Amino acid sequence: MYANMIRQLRTFGLVIILIACTAKFGLSAQQPSGNIPDITGSWERARDPSIPNPPQPPLKSQYLKEWQAQAQAAREASAKGQPIAERVVLCLPEGMPGMMAGPFPMEILQSKGQVTIIQEAYTQVRRILLDRQQKPVDDVEPGFYGYSVGHWDGGTLMADTIGIREDVRYQNVPHSKDIHIKERISLGPNGILRDEITIEDPTVLEKPWTFTYGYRRMPDYQLLEYICEDNREYADEKGLQKIRLDPAGR
Amino acid sequence: MIFDTQVRYVFFALIMFGMTCTALAHHSFAVYDHTRTLNLKGTVTKWQWSNPHAYLDIDVRDPNGVIKHYTLEGTSINMLQRVGWRSNMIKAGDQVKAVAAPLLNGEPGGLLLEITLANGEKRELPVPAANTFKRTADPE
Repeated sequence: MYANMIRQLRTFGLVIILIACTAKFGLSAQQPSGNIPDITGSWERARDPSIPNPPQPPLKSQYLKEWQAQAQAAREASAKGQPIAERVVLCLPEGMPGMMAGPFPMEILQSKGQVTIIQEAYTQVRRILLDRQQKPVDDVEPGFYGYSVGHWDGGTLMADTIGIREDVRYQNVPHSKDIHIKERISLGPNGILRDEITIEDPTVLEKPWTFTYGYRRMPDYQLLEYICEDNREYADEKGLQKIRLDPAGR
Repeated sequence: MIFDTQVRYVFFALIMFGMTCTALAHHSFAVYDHTRTLNLKGTVTKWQWSNPHAYLDIDVRDPNGVIKHYTLEGTSINMLQRVGWRSNMIKAGDQVKAVAAPLLNGEPGGLLLEITLANGEKRELPVPAANTFKRTADPE
């Protein structure tokens, strides 16, 4: 009788300890377990022969003409040695989805209810909130990274982003306030992490624009700090990239 | 085994090509002359360890004793750190030799491609597509 009680108490104790450990370490369906891969860590862009080159954006004809004309003007300006200043010259980060393009490394953190992606360049951060309803676009204040929700579908993280500022352009492609970025993030058997990005924006695009980035793991790399500070590149009054020379040199 | 190594080289080359293309998209180096380089020997007046790019200011004395000041743009300090650079490798007063692609507009500035530090150590900068800058032989 007494021994039985001790056994029951011991079992009860073990259960309590297990529950406590689960709560303490936040073990949940949203962290690496079962089908959910462990993608926490540092990554950098890598070519995967199975990933096709990004297609041209399927812009509607009037937007396509404008975009091609701007691209041509940029090429001609560069050929003359007077490149048009990109927004990064102004110390402005790329935002979404440009921050996923590299070339600097990025860090992915999986925590309870959230996947966080930190891009080393310009210390850009985006948060993908798991298992939440997407908001109506008018409820999101437009920004560089927008508002992202996501969920794991087997081993694939399905992310859905809205609320990207219209002046935050990827490859200078225009978009409306209704831009919708859908991502399928998955780990391939070759260890390459893939982010299949689909941009939907019926205002400017004929059809969704899909392209994929591949990343390889950087097992020993810790992201470095990156502050855009005292940039001597600047945009002149014509919007051309110039270098501020310091005649005193001090 | 040999095939394995070759595949690895090809894959590495593809990665580097990809990196170069994307790196180029960040900041344009089109303001610099790709057809020649300056070989400058001078005194460091400032080593600006910053992002998006580092900057080296040097005073160069010409054969007539006239000092000309140059501002040389480097790469991101993150890229420099990844290949072993540290902020304290260069300081004001150091005598250095620099190889730089000059500004096309003729102003006294350039893109720093290579430096010989005060201790004699020669270091290349991880400039994307550095091989597209044709080097001019140093007369020295």
